[in-house]
Amino acid sequence: MITCGMNSGTSKGVITSLLLLWCLFLSPFFLHAEEQGEYIAIRKQGGGKIAVVLDRSAAKGGKESEWAREFDKTVKDGLVFSNLFTILPPPSNVRAGSDGKGGSVNFGALSSVGAEVYAGGAVSKKGGKVNIDMEVYDTFGTKLLLKKSYSGKEEQLRSLGHAFSADLIELLTGKKSFFGSKIVFISSKSGSKEVYQCDFDGYGVEQVTSFRSISLTPVLSPDGRYLAYTSYTSGRPTLYIKNLHDNKVSSVAKNGVSVDPAWRNASELATTLSFEGDQEIYLVRPDGGIARRLTNSKGIDVSPTFSADGRQMAFVSSRNGLPQIFIQDMQSGLTRRLTYSGRYNTQPSWSPAGDKIAYSTWEKTGEINIFVINADGSGLKRLTSGVRENESPSWSPDGSMIVFTSNRQGGKKLYVMSSNGENQRRLLQMDGDQMQPSWSLFR
Amino acid sequence: MRTRLGALLVIAMMASAGCSSKSAVTSSDSDAGQGSSLQGSASGASRGYGFDEYQTGPIGDVFFDYDSSILAAEAQQRLTENASWMKSNSARQVIIEGHCDDRGTSEYNIALGERRAISAKEFMVRLGVAASRLETITYGEERPFDKGQNEEAWAKNRRAHFIVK
Repeated sequence: MITCGMNSGTSKGVITSLLLLWCLFLSPFFLHAEEQGEYIAIRKQGGGKIAVVLDRSAAKGGKESEWAREFDKTVKDGLVFSNLFTILPPPSNVRAGSDGKGGSVNFGALSSVGAEVYAGGAVSKKGGKVNIDMEVYDTFGTKLLLKKSYSGKEEQLRSLGHAFSADLIELLTGKKSFFGSKIVFISSKSGSKEVYQCDFDGYGVEQVTSFRSISLTPVLSPDGRYLAYTSYTSGRPTLYIKNLHDNKVSSVAKNGVSVDPAWRNASELATTLSFEGDQEIYLVRPDGGIARRLTNSKGIDVSPTFSADGRQMAFVSSRNGLPQIFIQDMQSGLTRRLTYSGRYNTQPSWSPAGDKIAYSTWEKTGEINIFVINADGSGLKRLTSGVRENESPSWSPDGSMIVFTSNRQGGKKLYVMSSNGENQRRLLQMDGDQMQPSWSLFR
Repeated sequence: MRTRLGALLVIAMMASAGCSSKSAVTSSDSDAGQGSSLQGSASGASRGYGFDEYQTGPIGDVFFDYDSSILAAEAQQRLTENASWMKSNSARQVIIEGHCDDRGTSEYNIALGERRAISAKEFMVRLGVAASRLETITYGEERPFDKGQNEEAWAKNRRAHFIVK
């Protein structure tokens, strides 16, 4: 099962055994063979970072070299962003070929710098397109883990880099990653609050709406087909659902407020409506039709978020006075209170990759901080602290990261952090305030 | 204390008069004193509770406590006077905007702002103003009157703001 063999050596058995032990106890991840002979390294829970050597991609010709540099940078930036890797510089003699390129991989050199994984490849031009041949090796086992070609137009280089990065992370962690996902958010950059979107890493910011009104709480459907948001274009806060394939827009044609949507699945979303007098949460179809009412309590019910299987909904309710987070079973309708710590708990976000819920607490100190709690109420943990107001948490599709809003450096800006609160940093540099980020699922 | 008694009196009279609220409003007007000299358009001068530099129309705004949509005595008195104006200007319609201070979180404040506008509307409807003349909208914390970060500014922003159409 564990593959840590060596190809040559005199005291083969002894060395192999020692290496096997070393792999078991020191390596932050271990390898096992799948049926097809592929190797997937599963990182142990709480394991350290994976030490990877990203080699410079080989290229012949000026254009190809330019592509190689952009591809390598995209991959490196993506792996840094994931926070899963320690990225080591390639040893000078990593490739045994005469020019330092080509030839076989020098596993001895890689092991000596502590690399667990080696990734390298070659960029070429094929039929006017970019072609990238990538190889990934387990340096201890000296095994080829992945050999795959990526091909596309020149302007798709970033996507090619992300496709490889996604394959690498899935190979080494057994999980899908966030590469290719989008973040939608609100910005006041233009002078009025409009919907914007960017890539998972803050690149490629695009303005989505130009209403010159107030737009709020954008959220993409799980299949990426629809964008739901609230806007004041009609003069009152109304929920709109835009089909991104044909640009058709539906709205919920009801009196009263209609705010803060969340998708339960690709064909149902929940939102707060007040046309029956009190503010209640309803299930709505993408055409704007109402499927059914979900809550029935006096007071504010707002900000729904669903478990990955769609069977449970967390939401904010003022039924007991100040706002707290509750969980409702979608089938039975039974509702229980989730949060007991803190007087003002809002903005729940259910992890798409597990039973954790992130939310924000307005604390006695005046700070707003992001907390995470298990759906059963256990495991409460504060993720931000001592840096003013931190709001609107939203999970990456793999549950490894959280995007949020903070005014720690002045205006409201977007930040990301690991799901345990580590490595908090700005997502993007942009004028105006940025707020209400929502991370899409896989695209 | 006197204003609270006045408001209680209004409610008590409404209850006993089966909501033919004309007499109730008259009573409240006499109670309110200088605040009730309301006619024509705004003079721009402050006219007591409910009027400030952000209030340009002939009827005044009402203010709320933190995270509350409950109408305090002063707010009830102001709304009673507003209802009286609505009755003597029966062709006019108003928009009641619900606003919040920018503490707390914006989604919840959208909902809270709506509750503030609705509680102001419902009070005036109980005093006999036709619901169709009172349109409500919430802005939550989106359109603060005062962008300051202190209690004085926050108190100004927690309001139901009246705009005469």
